Amino acid sequence: MNNALEVSHLTKDYGSFKLDDVSFTVPGGTIMGLIGENGAGKSTTIKCVLNMVHRDGGKISVFGLDAVADEQAVKSQLGVVLDDCGYYNPFTPAQLDRIQKGIYPQWDSGLFRQYLSKFSLSEKKVIKDFSKGMRMKLALAAAFAVRPKLLILDEATSGLDPVVRDEILDEFLEFIQDEDHSILISSHITSDLEKVADYVTYLHKGKVALTGAKDELLDTYGKLVCSRADLEQVDPDLLGGCRIGQFGCEALVKDRHGFRLRYPDLTVEPANLEDIMIFTVKGDAQ
Amino acid sequence: MKGLVYKDILAMRRLAGTYLLFFLVYGGLSVAGVFDISVLGGMVVLLGAMVPMSSISMDDASGWARFAVASPTGRRGIVSGKYLFTLLALVVSTVLVGLLLMGFSLLGISENRPIDCLLITLCCTGVALLIDAVLLPLTFQFGAEKARILNTILFAAVFGSIVLLGGAVSNELSLPAPPAWLISALPVLLGLAAIIGFFISYCISQGIYAKKEF
Repeated sequence: MNNALEVSHLTKDYGSFKLDDVSFTVPGGTIMGLIGENGAGKSTTIKCVLNMVHRDGGKISVFGLDAVADEQAVKSQLGVVLDDCGYYNPFTPAQLDRIQKGIYPQWDSGLFRQYLSKFSLSEKKVIKDFSKGMRMKLALAAAFAVRPKLLILDEATSGLDPVVRDEILDEFLEFIQDEDHSILISSHITSDLEKVADYVTYLHKGKVALTGAKDELLDTYGKLVCSRADLEQVDPDLLGGCRIGQFGCEALVKDRHGFRLRYPDLTVEPANLEDIMIFTVKGDAQ
Repeated sequence: MKGLVYKDILAMRRLAGTYLLFFLVYGGLSVAGVFDISVLGGMVVLLGAMVPMSSISMDDASGWARFAVASPTGRRGIVSGKYLFTLLALVVSTVLVGLLLMGFSLLGISENRPIDCLLITLCCTGVALLIDAVLLPLTFQFGAEKARILNTILFAAVFGSIVLLGGAVSNELSLPAPPAWLISALPVLLGLAAIIGFFISYCISQGIYAKKEF
């Protein structure tokens, strides 16, 4: 299986924030979810992949091509949805179709119209009159019409209601049916990524806190629910952060199977991506 | 890049009414004798500077550049597209103003001969090219809003100088006469300076935009 995207030792220093030695791989035919709190570096990583900002170090290759040296060839294979679609506002979808045709060499007007119809978007209506959900669907239709091999989405589902989000996630799953297609999606809505992602990379304060197959991560991590007295007896090295409340404690367990063998009397529940994120941040603060 | 130029044309179509109003007001005032008819040539300079600036201003407001940089067009294509669109705007305004001036000449409204009208228009196009050559890199560097101030200063300087010079000459101020060869070569020199200046400006803008982050 060829890799769609390889990010290796990526560094970008803004002074007040540094994306530090970020490495991850998106295998072909998979969905990689980029998670992390606001300001963790998700958008900066995507901007580096798209050469929207200049990286200070590291290497990025897309389908084996260098993201900077082979910029045009790389970008011809990408469908991109950024968090703000305001750039379409003054136009109608029909005008957007003609604009895009002059930008993307492999733009498929027929496919674009199919998606407009599928998403019930009028071709003649000015885009500024669309709702946020409609604009996001339009951006997706435009991204699909490029006939991309790699779809890059930056916070594409944030701010949308659950019904629209679910529709959009279904589109991602349909897109990925072709094994040559891959998706890199950044989001802080971890439940969305749990539904669709095959791999997850968690960025925390500009660094990769963890990366790997989603199912393996969810199988490895666990959430300990216990009393304060029980928590004090647990080896802190096995935990990734904890929340101490009046009526009990919760803590992230880094290896829940190993933990169960060592502490068979304590209850360890499966952790979800949100738990992993929240407890990692708490562990950092503690 | 074709798509970017088409986008600019589409976006500017919405301002076509404003530009038409400029033509009508200036044309009307010139015919009424408030201005000399040849002042209409200044419309080329005005439109030549206004159209690309408005286009970049709209791009800035909508965040279009972020989208365009993420497309295969990239930074180079954005700059090339904007320069191409500027040239297109200049050609259109030159043709419109040229036809208007020559029309006035043929109808006897203007005392200038049609060939003089054409020469006036082309000289104004050269000046507009030079102004754009200065304004475009400034706009790419500082953004449309900040560059608008510089644009106003530049306009005031160019037109102020012309008005002062015209006033001085009409008050019979004796200025040293330039050599005859210089006067006859002036249109060609202006044309050359405009073309070379525009090309240098394009290279500078590419350098500025290559360093930009979005």
